[in-house]
Amino acid sequence: QQEDAVLLADRVEINGNDQLIATGNVEVLQGTTRLTASRILYDQSNNMLVIDGPIAMTDGADTVILASDAALSTDLRNGILRSARMVLNQQLQLAAAEINRVNGRYTQLYKTVASTCQVCAKRPVPLWQIRARRIVHDEQERQLYFDNARFEVAGVPIMYLPRLRLPDPTLKRATGFLSPTFRSTDALGFGVKIPYFITLGRSADLTLTPYLSTDVTRTLEYRFRRAFRAGQLEIEGAISEDDIREGELRSYAFIEGQFDIGRGYELTFDIETVSDSGYLLDYGYSDKDRLDSAVEIGRTRRDENFRANVTAYRSLRDSESNETQPTIRADLHWERRFTPGWLGGSAGYTFDLHHHYRRSDLDVDSADDDLITDGRDVTRASARLDWRRDWLLGNGMMIGTLGAINLDWTSVTDDAAYSESVFEVTPQAAVELRWPFIRRSAFATHILEPIVQLAWTPESDTDLPNDESTLLEFDEGNLFSLDRFPGGDVNERGLRANLGLRWTRFDADGWMLGVTLGRIIRADDLGQFAGYSGLEGEKSDWLAAVQLQFPNRLTLTNRALFDDDFSFAMNELRASWSSETLSLAGSYIWMEANTLEDRPLDVNEITLDSAWQVDDNWLLSLDWRYDVEQNRAAEATFGVEWRNECVAVDLSVSRRFTSSAAVEPTTDLALQVSLSGFGAGRASQRHLARGCRG
Amino acid sequence: CGFAPLYGPGGPGETLHGQVEIAEPTTENEFDFVSRLETRLGRTAAGPMRLDYAITTRREGLAITADQETQRYNILGEVRYQVTDTTTNVVLSTGRTHSFTSYSATGTTVATTTAARDAEARLMVILADQAVTHLLATAESFLP
Amino acid sequence: QGANVAFGALKHDSSLPVEIAADQLQINQETGKAVFSGNVEVGQGEMRLAAARVEVEYEGGESSTGKVQRLHATGGVTLVSGAEAAEAREAVYTIGSSEIVMTGDVLLTQGQNALSGQKLVVDLDKGTGVMEGRVRTIFRSDSGN
Repeated sequence: QQEDAVLLADRVEINGNDQLIATGNVEVLQGTTRLTASRILYDQSNNMLVIDGPIAMTDGADTVILASDAALSTDLRNGILRSARMVLNQQLQLAAAEINRVNGRYTQLYKTVASTCQVCAKRPVPLWQIRARRIVHDEQERQLYFDNARFEVAGVPIMYLPRLRLPDPTLKRATGFLSPTFRSTDALGFGVKIPYFITLGRSADLTLTPYLSTDVTRTLEYRFRRAFRAGQLEIEGAISEDDIREGELRSYAFIEGQFDIGRGYELTFDIETVSDSGYLLDYGYSDKDRLDSAVEIGRTRRDENFRANVTAYRSLRDSESNETQPTIRADLHWERRFTPGWLGGSAGYTFDLHHHYRRSDLDVDSADDDLITDGRDVTRASARLDWRRDWLLGNGMMIGTLGAINLDWTSVTDDAAYSESVFEVTPQAAVELRWPFIRRSAFATHILEPIVQLAWTPESDTDLPNDESTLLEFDEGNLFSLDRFPGGDVNERGLRANLGLRWTRFDADGWMLGVTLGRIIRADDLGQFAGYSGLEGEKSDWLAAVQLQFPNRLTLTNRALFDDDFSFAMNELRASWSSETLSLAGSYIWMEANTLEDRPLDVNEITLDSAWQVDDNWLLSLDWRYDVEQNRAAEATFGVEWRNECVAVDLSVSRRFTSSAAVEPTTDLALQVSLSGFGAGRASQRHLARGCRG
Repeated sequence: CGFAPLYGPGGPGETLHGQVEIAEPTTENEFDFVSRLETRLGRTAAGPMRLDYAITTRREGLAITADQETQRYNILGEVRYQVTDTTTNVVLSTGRTHSFTSYSATGTTVATTTAARDAEARLMVILADQAVTHLLATAESFLP
Repeated sequence: QGANVAFGALKHDSSLPVEIAADQLQINQETGKAVFSGNVEVGQGEMRLAAARVEVEYEGGESSTGKVQRLHATGGVTLVSGAEAAEAREAVYTIGSSEIVMTGDVLLTQGQNALSGQKLVVDLDKGTGVMEGRVRTIFRSDSGN
């Protein structure tokens, strides 16, 4: 039921011929609409208000109409306002010779100009505006319909559209075109991407983006998203016909889903397919060089972790063949932790089933790039029971005893060098001593923590292939681990001492400096780590890690492996620094070549990601990757973003210098211009207006 | 020289041991993080203090060859944690710490995925150890 | 849909005879004024005025001539004329200039519409009125088209 309209004024004349004349701070209030004017004549015969300006009419917070004079019904829902200006959501301004309100829902503007740019006396022509014979604003659908629209930039008409529809600034979600992106790359020439967003009910949407470039490619990109009550699904992909691979239909599809399937279990799957190895890189869709499609059911709760997954690999690397690379992998992992009643401490048992399969059935290594038997398939079932207990000694020493027993049954097929199946029992034992000290002063708190761990695992002469544990690392995370081989197929053996010293200084001002030093001393070198310079020999390299953290300002972590005469096997640095206007993040990596890890050359690379908010309008960003070994930049991306209250321009130029058989060096330029104030997607840029005084 | 045993009588280590209940993990990373915290702080189902945590990780490719093959990945991790008094719900201490681990992606597909999972597990151990060190260093300010 | 009487039908012939009825009447010899009190009813043609207390002045200051010159009603006044009704705390009706001035929470209702304000001056000859003091006019929504 409509609320009653109320007219307020300092003075009302009743002049006898069925009319009232209200003057002095005149206001009309009706529901959420409020109108102020200098004089209102109420004619009861036709229930109309004849209003003299300056008129200001606001409808909630979203719509403001200013007019010189008007004739409206008493409920303000119908009528005409003359030489009016309508402002939507404090952003979009529509100036019109005449505004016609229809049933409080439609507002028709005649001979009108629409723009979100600020108009000042000194700068009467806004950066862009849309001139139209008529605009209809549908308040319920939150849409703006333009007739005979002429798009002008700085007063110059550049586009004419007989009919145009744009969302009003409060519309969050509707079917329609999004801002186009102009793109020019060496490989694909100059082109434009015009995304079209389609809402499919309340919980699904489809975005189709045709990408047309000067006779080089005709591509349709698509993204489908669907939200379910118990999960979500997203399909992203593209289909192309281009001159890079003539007469071939190129495509890719990434499908990701995640569903809660009850009792805490979650099903996740991620399917990745591509028509040919260069496609993702040519179009910049992804820099993945291996596709891994996986399906997993998992649940993690207090003291229990269950994972069951199957992964299908497809390598896109020229140097690898999917015949001799493992292409199917299946794992089941179930782990429970518990506190043994009479024994104390903490314990856990773990069951693992593992299988990986290579398509080739050749049981020897053919003349392919790697030295691994071509067709080897491995299946393994493992059970593990571990236990640990720590004792606190009076002098502050913490003694820990660790024990574990591993039962592994391994079956290797399609490999002449290994017999059918092997069963092995591997016990592990260790004693760990920690003696941390603390020192507090007015300036800082220091914690010094020496740790010595003596670990033993019996030697074994069983002969099993090593497929999963060929990539070894040595850092603070596994300095005190009983088995530094990442896979379950190999166990670290022999008697060894893991030594560590950790010193951390917490400054009173809130910053922190931490240093960790570690080394492994082996009773004798069993050659398990031969070829891995950081870990091999009776004495491993020194592990040194330094960390510096200033809250919300700087984080720096550097980790190095070097031997007694300071020749470095590896040094990795990551640092990030940010202030209100500048953010820098960088990394440096130096690694020695290692044939066992298929790394023929040393790695020596610097990367830098930086973004600088110059002022309210300008944002500059630079991402850069420099190959120190080859002494040249590998990749660089320079981005410029300029925003004001009514337009956002994003320009990015990226250059990739590397080249190979399947990949050419390319330059990729992308320009996006989006008019702000249409649709509620981005935050309003109203605050960026410079104001008319300037 | 001013150093006293952290786990000495009345030291923060001793008073904290076995007193902190850790929030339930929901992901594999959180499971490894909680296991390490319980190893260092002792396991307790219900203690006078409760530690809540939020872990975020991000993966970045590194050492990219001319053939656009990514040879190395860094996993960058951050944990924010908060210790509250379980009876009064008063926040006793908050902390935030970062680190990263790496793995090579030059081996076989199986070796790379195994190395990736191991790198995440190691990262959780590092973040847990750093959180415990910060907790022990600041324990005096909130322990009774 | 209700009498769609012209809003401003305030026209009234103030030369008609005036009758006044009340519970008590006191005559004040010196001033020549008469004070009616207790359910005072003043009638003039179509118009009715009710008030708690009405002070009446007669022409030439003599109540005997019976020619009312001016009425001053207080203690809550209700004025009804045809479809018009007005209430206020006080009202002064000057017969000679056929003008009524009502003050204090004035409420003028006419059919569906109502005006409220602090002061209402009505010219009975011309049938016009002026309301002042943050005037509120309520338009009944169903009274519209």
